[in-house]
Amino acid sequence: MSFLIDLKCTECGTSYDPRNLQTYCLNCQSPLLSQYDLKTAREKLDRDAIRVRPRGMWRWHELLPVYQAENQIFLGEGDTPILRLPRLGEQLGLNNLFLKDESLNPTGSFKARGLATAISKARELGIKKVIIPTAGNAGGAMAAYAARSGLEACIYMPKDTPFSNMEESRIAGAQVILIDGLINEAAGMAGVKARDEGWFDVSTFKEPYRVEGKKVMGYELAEWFNWKLPDVIIYPTGGGTGLVGMWKAFDELEALGWLESKDRPRMVAVQADGCAPVIKAFQSGALFCDYWVEAHTLASGLRVPKSFADQLILRDLRASQGNAVAVSDEAIIHAQKQLAVMEGIFAAPEGAATLAGLIALIQQGWVDPAERIVLFNTGTGLKYLKQPN
Amino acid sequence: MPRKILYVEDNPDNMTLVKRALEARGYEFLWAVNGLAGVEMAESNQPDVILLDINLPDIDGYEVARRLRNSGKSSLVYVPIIAVTANALRGDAEKALAAGCDVYMAKPINIRELWARVEGFLATPD
Repeated sequence: MSFLIDLKCTECGTSYDPRNLQTYCLNCQSPLLSQYDLKTAREKLDRDAIRVRPRGMWRWHELLPVYQAENQIFLGEGDTPILRLPRLGEQLGLNNLFLKDESLNPTGSFKARGLATAISKARELGIKKVIIPTAGNAGGAMAAYAARSGLEACIYMPKDTPFSNMEESRIAGAQVILIDGLINEAAGMAGVKARDEGWFDVSTFKEPYRVEGKKVMGYELAEWFNWKLPDVIIYPTGGGTGLVGMWKAFDELEALGWLESKDRPRMVAVQADGCAPVIKAFQSGALFCDYWVEAHTLASGLRVPKSFADQLILRDLRASQGNAVAVSDEAIIHAQKQLAVMEGIFAAPEGAATLAGLIALIQQGWVDPAERIVLFNTGTGLKYLKQPN
Repeated sequence: MPRKILYVEDNPDNMTLVKRALEARGYEFLWAVNGLAGVEMAESNQPDVILLDINLPDIDGYEVARRLRNSGKSSLVYVPIIAVTANALRGDAEKALAAGCDVYMAKPINIRELWARVEGFLATPD
């Protein structure tokens, strides 16, 4: 049974009933975040009991938003490995370098977590058809979870999205609409179709539950590090759901009394220098991002000119005393090769960007060799292979 | 004397939301529901900031911005224009900025951001 009791606007604090279908705040048009009865959860839940449950994201079901177990759609998401990177660590002069490999999720990316939660909750609330704009992996994930739950799916994606994302969506029965534009333009078109035809829009942060699935990455990190959070988390940031979700997870774990130390990780957002709205805003002290004009990068998941949750990303980066780093496509390609050659990990470009970002931070002297540093590989490099001629 | 904000927008829901938000901050709210009326309203009322939807029923927001910038009235050549769109067409942001808008915001309009953008333009320099 979920301890979800409320949805609260991140800006104005207005409450919304999670037993009804919700999107974002109607007063100030900001994202909503789930609130749980953590006081009761603290009395009733045992972190060590959760540890021995069957593997997967839903072992944290009390802290996820789905009320009925039969609505939890499971394809094996969650409990991805945290790998030590000894060879790269030695080369970079770091003693405790790790990578959380989200490519082991269903559909090969971290998007499975958020879409598992959002589609499960949509089903619980009686939704029949779901629509999403995507830079790539979210589309494939939504198609898979919609298929498994019997929902109709429609996906808008840029026409230069990796071919595998189109095909995995189509084979799962989704209607795929390719557009001449970026994810923000896809979002606009999906929004129009949703309004005109009654689809439920599961765009990042325009529904409240994708972030709940993503936050479990934070729970898993805490558990794996024996409830002492790592020192630095380096995360590729497009829409920012994972970063915001993990910070939320740390808040919840603290409220539950499960953390052994109050020390929080410094969160680092990595973007490509061809689309770096978060980096620009972070460095200039702005509260919001400016729309990034003419966004371009080979890391399709990072081609997000402006996230709907930009203020949350910036807030959490600053709260963590973190940082924000832009890296070039050349550095991403180099890092992708380094991860493969030295550690046997074929990372998505977005995941490789975190290694490129780490190298930049080392050059700045921003990380200490003894710190426990976690990179996030958000997907498999296999999905970015070019279609054979 | 309250600062005047003109919003050119044909969608009544957006209009209501923004009106409420800006009036709550003490601004005088002016509105027009199409592009030609927006140009006329701007010329006759000299707003301090203009919020401009791009998808309008007569002339689009790009054309509104161009006409304001070319109007010859210094108050309109330099008035801050915030473009507001649903991102439904490729290159909306680029086109809006090229047409003379100062800033681009996507719908749904985050009210905190709107306040911050408007106040940013109206802040008195030290």
